[in-house]
Amino acid sequence: MTVQLASILGLWGSYLPSFMRGLVITMEITGLGLAVAVVLGAILAGFKLSKFKALRVIATVYVDIIRSIPVLVLLFLAYYGLGQLGLTLSGIASATAALGAFYAALLCEIFRGGVQGVERGQREAADALGLGRVSGFVRVILPQAVLRILPPSTNQLSNIIKDSSLVVTIGVADLMARSYEASATTFEPMDMFVLAGLIYMALYLVIARAIGRWELNVQRRRG
Amino acid sequence: MSSDVVVELDGVRKCFGPRVIFDDVSLSVHRSEVVAVIGPSGAGKSTLIRCINQLNTFEKGVIRVLGHEVYGTEEGRPPLRRDDLRRLRTEIGMVFQTFNLFPHLSVMKNVMLAPQRVKGRSEAEAAAQAQELLEMIGLSHRKDAYPRQLSGGEQQRVAICRALAMEPEVMLFDEPTSMLDPELVGEVLAAIRRLAVDGMTMILVTHEMMFAKEIADTVVVVADGGIAEMGPAKEVLSTPKTERARSFLERVLLHTGGDTGPQAAASEGGFDAASGGFDDPTLSWSREVDEKGLR
Repeated sequence: MTVQLASILGLWGSYLPSFMRGLVITMEITGLGLAVAVVLGAILAGFKLSKFKALRVIATVYVDIIRSIPVLVLLFLAYYGLGQLGLTLSGIASATAALGAFYAALLCEIFRGGVQGVERGQREAADALGLGRVSGFVRVILPQAVLRILPPSTNQLSNIIKDSSLVVTIGVADLMARSYEASATTFEPMDMFVLAGLIYMALYLVIARAIGRWELNVQRRRG
Repeated sequence: MSSDVVVELDGVRKCFGPRVIFDDVSLSVHRSEVVAVIGPSGAGKSTLIRCINQLNTFEKGVIRVLGHEVYGTEEGRPPLRRDDLRRLRTEIGMVFQTFNLFPHLSVMKNVMLAPQRVKGRSEAEAAAQAQELLEMIGLSHRKDAYPRQLSGGEQQRVAICRALAMEPEVMLFDEPTSMLDPELVGEVLAAIRRLAVDGMTMILVTHEMMFAKEIADTVVVVADGGIAEMGPAKEVLSTPKTERARSFLERVLLHTGGDTGPQAAASEGGFDAASGGFDDPTLSWSREVDEKGLR
């Protein structure tokens, strides 16, 4: 038993540097995809809350279409599909586009709900004080919406981290690809995929804990 | 519009969809005048004052606040420009039934926000002013607290400071005490009384009849789609001339537990308006009323 454990740990140790390089790629894809999703999601949420019907329709159609398509299909469309049309994207760029497009649709709904969930009286108080639309939103509505938006967004973050592993299919050397490669070389798929799983888990838990702690601090401060 | 008229409503009609809430409401509020708006719930008292700062639009008529004019949406005038609307609102302070303090900001920051963002005051100037207002209202020791850490009465007093920080020409109070526990009503009324004594022009929607009688110069009874009666506070409250006003007042005074009709209530006036001491939040007013069994 101890011998076995030692050999697993030895194996893990020898592949850890490779896995860590993969983790960096995974974090890169996740971070870029998330950035696109947040920006695009915020724009779409703005459309949904707009008084102009055309913008609301655009956002609704986008959300309905995109979230019904598997991320893998979006990824292949970006990587192979756009390539066929002459727009060749790198693996990482394709992943950023696919994850960004897909999670924008999900975050859009979360953002919209967060903003609409702020009590109407808050907007009225800002209006009555003569705060403009921009200051009223930035200083009054947004800081309150953020606390409503964070918990469901953190959940989506776990999904986006996991979906980043789909890039294994287009040859990007992320954490998933590294573990796949290691299992093929060592003929120890169990050990290698367990290690990959543990690293994915650790990544999510560290980020989620950090966000959760920040959130708790803010809430505690505000009574 | 004579020079000391601060707020003037002329033939205002408000509808929600097909339902007319009130029609042909005309009213002038002079500088330093305190107007209490009373009437049965659902009569549109709150809506009426919310039209003044355009939290609600209205269909017909015109509302003038100092130099600003707002026409009803069906008067065929172009809608108010956004900047003009903001300028109008900076002349008007508003205190809400539900306080509506900004929960993510400390007491100080709640009071400082609008002067900084709207009037372009520096942080130091805004802080000095907020400090002064909070001291006046007896809450400077709570300046770093957040709204949720305050009692309802304290929150409402901060809300009053927040509105005053914009140095408005007129204050609107939308049932400022009706969400409060009875023992917290007095401290908020004391704050309002203090403003009246200082000469603030105020329009106050309230269910506190005794308070209305004490501080209001004019009482407006809103009922059945319009102003049922309007006049000097003591007259309207003790000897209402119209049947609608009389029946409303009788119901209110019965409900508040007094064996007093409007007549008897009148003779019990005599509250000292000048005694609104903030150092003593346990206020003479609420105690007196308690003793008289009116609350």
